[in-house]
Order: sequence, then C-alpha cells, then structure tokens
Amino acid sequence: MSERGDNTDNELGRLEGRGQGSSGSVQIASEDDILLARQTVRDLAEEMGFRLTDVTRIVTAVSELARNIHLYADEGVMRWQKLDRPGRTGLELVFDDDGPGIDNLEAVLQGNYSSSEGMGRGLSGTRELADEFDIETGESGTTITIRKWSRD
Amino acid sequence: MSELRPTAINEVFGVLVASFPGKPTDKAVDSLQEQLLQEVDRRQPRGVILDISRVTTLDSFFARVISETANMVTLMGGDVIVVGMRPSVAITAAELGYGFEDITTARNVDHALSMLGITDSTIEQSGDANE
Repeated sequence: MSERGDNTDNELGRLEGRGQGSSGSVQIASEDDILLARQTVRDLAEEMGFRLTDVTRIVTAVSELARNIHLYADEGVMRWQKLDRPGRTGLELVFDDDGPGIDNLEAVLQGNYSSSEGMGRGLSGTRELADEFDIETGESGTTITIRKWSRD
Repeated sequence: MSELRPTAINEVFGVLVASFPGKPTDKAVDSLQEQLLQEVDRRQPRGVILDISRVTTLDSFFARVISETANMVTLMGGDVIVVGMRPSVAITAAELGYGFEDITTARNVDHALSMLGITDSTIEQSGDANE
C-alpha cells in the first residue's frame, strides 16, 4: 500500500528529486513535507548508488533536520546537490530556515539537551550520521549543511 | 492534509499486534499510539506486539514514540515486545544511541507470539499473523 502527500507542491518537489538533475530543493512548510524531503533524498541516494545502510543514515538525518525546521522555524527549505569529485561522488544537503536560531548550541550538539519532542540526540545524532556537518545559527536563522560520500 | 490510514491494530490469539506504517506522518504515529493504549485498556490483551518491520527510517521522534509506547503498555500491566527492526535501521539506531535497553525485542511477530506462549502450530492453522 503506498502512502503519499497529496498536494501539488509535494508532487513538484518529488519530481525534482526524482529526475536526473544535479540539484534541487524541497520546501518544508508542513509535516507532510518532512516525508517528502525524506522520500526525495531516499530516491536520490538510491539512484546514486549509496549502500542501504548509508541511505538509511542519510534519510534519518534528513528526517531530523526537516522536522527541526517544521517544529522550531515553521518553514524553510532543503536544498540538495550532487557532488562530483575525482574518485568519489557525494550528496550535499542544506537545511535553511529563518527561525529563531538555536540558543544552546553546544549542549544540543553534545546530545545533552532534550526537547519534549525527541530523545535529545536529533542534532548530535545527525552529526554522527553525516560525513561532514556544518551549522550556522543566529537570530536570523539556521543553516545546516551535511555531506555524505559514496564509497566506491 | 494527508489522510490517516485505518489504524493497523489486530488481535491475534489474545495478543494485540500494532503495525507501524513504513512512512508515517508524526500525527499518524501519535494516533496509533493513542489508539493502541485505548485497545489495551478495552481488550486487556495477554501481550502487545509493536511491529516495526515496515519502518525504514527510525529518527529520534519515532524512536521516542516506540520507547514511550512500550513503557506505557508496561505501566498498564501488559507484556510488550518490539519486533522486526530492519538491519539498516538497527545499525543507525545503535549509532544514534537508541538502545531500547528496557524493551523486549523479537525477530518477527511469530517469534514474539512464541515468546508470549503461543505455539507455531496454532499460528499456522490460522494463517499469517504478520500482515
């Protein structure tokens, strides 16, 4: 049985993620968009030949970061880009929002801080799951960039 | 808005089997938790099985709900078993530190049923309990 979001934006976003392009984006404005972001990245990562374990790691990270946008910033965007470097390919995902930023970043990144919504390891866990992780946060919003490289 | 699917809670030999959908919205997960607790209260099952075999992404929210649901059922006096975690999900969950330390796990629904004292032959007579 298949499940899908059913608004037009979702379908557009999904098509972007499915194609042969090297970059695209998914708007995150509702809870359904968390699923859409996940599915988009799952399709991309599978198409790029990531191993199932790495697909699962990447999609889990997407789920955390897209949900953070939905919960704390209301809306934002996930931009994806395929990276082609000598000897390796990768996937870069940028999560960008104009929300209030993260106050206690150090504690959050160490997994010492838990909101009522999660297990306190959302962001710190995401850092574990990605090969590269970068975060910029302030009063004007948060931008988180993760990269995962395919092991040939 | 996406529609919530009919909740996948079935009773098998006095055991409640709750099947978590593969790609649920947060609301669907919350709703399943609530309905399951109501069913536990209403039917007083001999055990509860949380089937996560269709789950391909276990993030911190989903992990919390599963762990919390198991604790709630335990508080209500039920035996609860989480079954069917996929290998890739188990690897990711372990890396994230979701040990589910206090939760009983089993490979699949049949395995969990036998742990709850229901024999294989009984299950075969009544068809597959998994889906």
